[in-house]
Amino acid sequence: MSAITVILDDGSRHEIDASDATATRTLAGYLEAHGFPLNTRCGKRGICCGCEVELSDGSTVKSCQIAAMGVQSVNIPGRSRMDHQPQVGETFRIDIPTAHQPIFESVEGVRDTAFAIDLGTTTVVVMLIDLTTGDILARAGGFNEQIRFGDNVLTRIDAARDPAILNDLQAAVTKATFPPLIASACERAGRSPGRLAGGVIAGNTTMLHLLVGEDPTPLGIAPFTPRFIAGRQLTCADIRLAIDGLNTPLPIHLLPGIAAFIGSDIVAGIYATGMMYDQQPSLLVDIGTNGEIVLQHEGQLTTCATAAGPAFEGGGLRCGTRARDGAISRLELTLDPCQIEAEIIGDIPLSRAAGVCGSAYIDFLAEAREAGLLTTSGRFDPSRWNSLPASHRVEDDDERALRLAGQDGRGGMVVSEVDIAVILQAKAAIGAGIDILLEASGIEADQVGKVYLAGGFGMHLDVSHAIEIGLLPGFNTEQVEVVGNTSLAGAMLATIDKSTFKEMEEIRTHTRVIELNSQEGFEDCYIDHLMLP
Amino acid sequence: MDNEHPLTSAVIRGKRKEVPPLVQECLDAGESAQSIVEGRLVPAMKTVGDRFKNNEIFVPEMLIAARAMKAALGILEPLLVEAGIQPEFKALIATVEGDLHDIGKNLVSMMWKGANIEVIDLGVNITPAKFAEAVVEHKPDIVGLSALLTTTMPAMRDTIDAIRATAVTTKIVIGGAPVTQDFADEIGADGYAQDAGTAADIALGLLQSA
Repeated sequence: MSAITVILDDGSRHEIDASDATATRTLAGYLEAHGFPLNTRCGKRGICCGCEVELSDGSTVKSCQIAAMGVQSVNIPGRSRMDHQPQVGETFRIDIPTAHQPIFESVEGVRDTAFAIDLGTTTVVVMLIDLTTGDILARAGGFNEQIRFGDNVLTRIDAARDPAILNDLQAAVTKATFPPLIASACERAGRSPGRLAGGVIAGNTTMLHLLVGEDPTPLGIAPFTPRFIAGRQLTCADIRLAIDGLNTPLPIHLLPGIAAFIGSDIVAGIYATGMMYDQQPSLLVDIGTNGEIVLQHEGQLTTCATAAGPAFEGGGLRCGTRARDGAISRLELTLDPCQIEAEIIGDIPLSRAAGVCGSAYIDFLAEAREAGLLTTSGRFDPSRWNSLPASHRVEDDDERALRLAGQDGRGGMVVSEVDIAVILQAKAAIGAGIDILLEASGIEADQVGKVYLAGGFGMHLDVSHAIEIGLLPGFNTEQVEVVGNTSLAGAMLATIDKSTFKEMEEIRTHTRVIELNSQEGFEDCYIDHLMLP
Repeated sequence: MDNEHPLTSAVIRGKRKEVPPLVQECLDAGESAQSIVEGRLVPAMKTVGDRFKNNEIFVPEMLIAARAMKAALGILEPLLVEAGIQPEFKALIATVEGDLHDIGKNLVSMMWKGANIEVIDLGVNITPAKFAEAVVEHKPDIVGLSALLTTTMPAMRDTIDAIRATAVTTKIVIGGAPVTQDFADEIGADGYAQDAGTAADIALGLLQSA
């Protein structure tokens, strides 16, 4: 056997050389090496279905679990491929006044450009800033190439126990992720990389450990002690970041974090929203691959991390996806007669939707509950279910799912009862986290002035639905302000205003961290929040 | 099995607030604490476990049912102790060193109680040495180790080694989101429960074959 035929969704066929396929090399590893990286988000442990492919005999296999040797042809479904570009939270709102006093020395027209990076577990955004004017010049976003080692921080911490893999994890960011994004942002801005004067990076604590090549093992085990948490200054060379067209060792600043699960992305968010200076109590809820919550009450900041999981970014859901082109971002559902209206990113018809993103699941929960189609425990109400047209009802493997077909009856996307259970657990983790923080400070939801909702997921969200299903329990829409990617906003502010660092250090050292699992009443509160109101 | 009984039905449906008065009614009608557990609650949790395995209910509903079960046991357990009633089997359970997440462990604990097993819950973040100490003290028939984090799985191996090094012979079952059967085999566990729904079956299977 000397070649494997790869067949993609668009029908295209690609012959790849298979002379080096061995019995010990996995099909996933082999395909990746030949330009077809798959979604190996569980770290090739065979426990997710991200890298499923179809073989010539029609069987579906997890490509990380079988040998490449002997395979003649594979069909790679679109959902298993890694090459689609995510739409990342590139927009944000900054609520704090800033000065213009860049941290990097700049010479107009010569070295006058800085980059700010939001280094997320899933996605990375690079932004270029003109240091002379403080203007945003360009953005570029993409996946964090570490995803193939696992889709969450814990699988990556686990993988990094092996020093060789720790090294690979660092390279996945500094060699495979950053340089192309920086290059593409420079191109969009029409500036040569030679004009870069420095960069600021915000990210969760695990991401920053992996970035600098620090062993993150202690972050995965109680008492979760980071190896470093204060802000840090280094150079490109220290993190093995090489940018084409740039020869000088560029200064890089890492923003300070607070704890193992409350990173500098959250410090950046606290700063960019200006919440620490709000007169009334205020709340920051950042929903990404993890969910973090911060409460400010009388100047005191209290924070907690929740085990919400990646459901709001589509993880673990039958048709779930991140917000990207082709994703259903909004849903409207009415019964009698059953009508489903969907809004899809990129102006694509429902019949060709590529997935359902978190905001649409929230719409679905709120509208289906309102219409009586869902019970308080998130199950389809039997009589309502039976009155749905057969074309909307899917029943397989003892699981019921609603098919999201449009007026023309077309569309293959479904929302299943298992999906709903997964979303309920994620929303319960956040809802309970909010309640516990409020309780710890002795205040009620209606006393909170502002609720800042951060994270890419919030950008498409119908806030009233998030309130209705109890994701933001007890608030009203006037309180909620969608602020977008505040991690990037904070990193951007740090490039143009050097006082930012001092204030972020203040935030770091004055924020109280609550471990939810150790809180009396958390479990009870979590279980209460598993229900739909 | 009588799932129609109001108490059994209330536990299955997770109606926590309805449970205490229903338990009291049973007691007032002259039922012993033991017969309420065996005749009303064990069938309820068996039904919950079976429904979960059949995909009829999911984690949220199981958690809600387990909480209702807990409310019933809150009344009955002191009465059982007072009457000197000892279930046939005794279990020890905790999350391993480094892991603070206990909702899954608490659920398994309740499923085991629902299978009429006495459960001693050591809590969270229990070191191998503490596990071994507790095994010597309580001489359980079975020990449950829970880990939610991929990163705390290695502590399971050390804990099993520490328990095996004691003079007590006991079955060991492991579980938690990142755990697999392969891992259980690799570290020498007697059993692996892939979810709380199967945890009771796995435990009873091991105990009754012992």
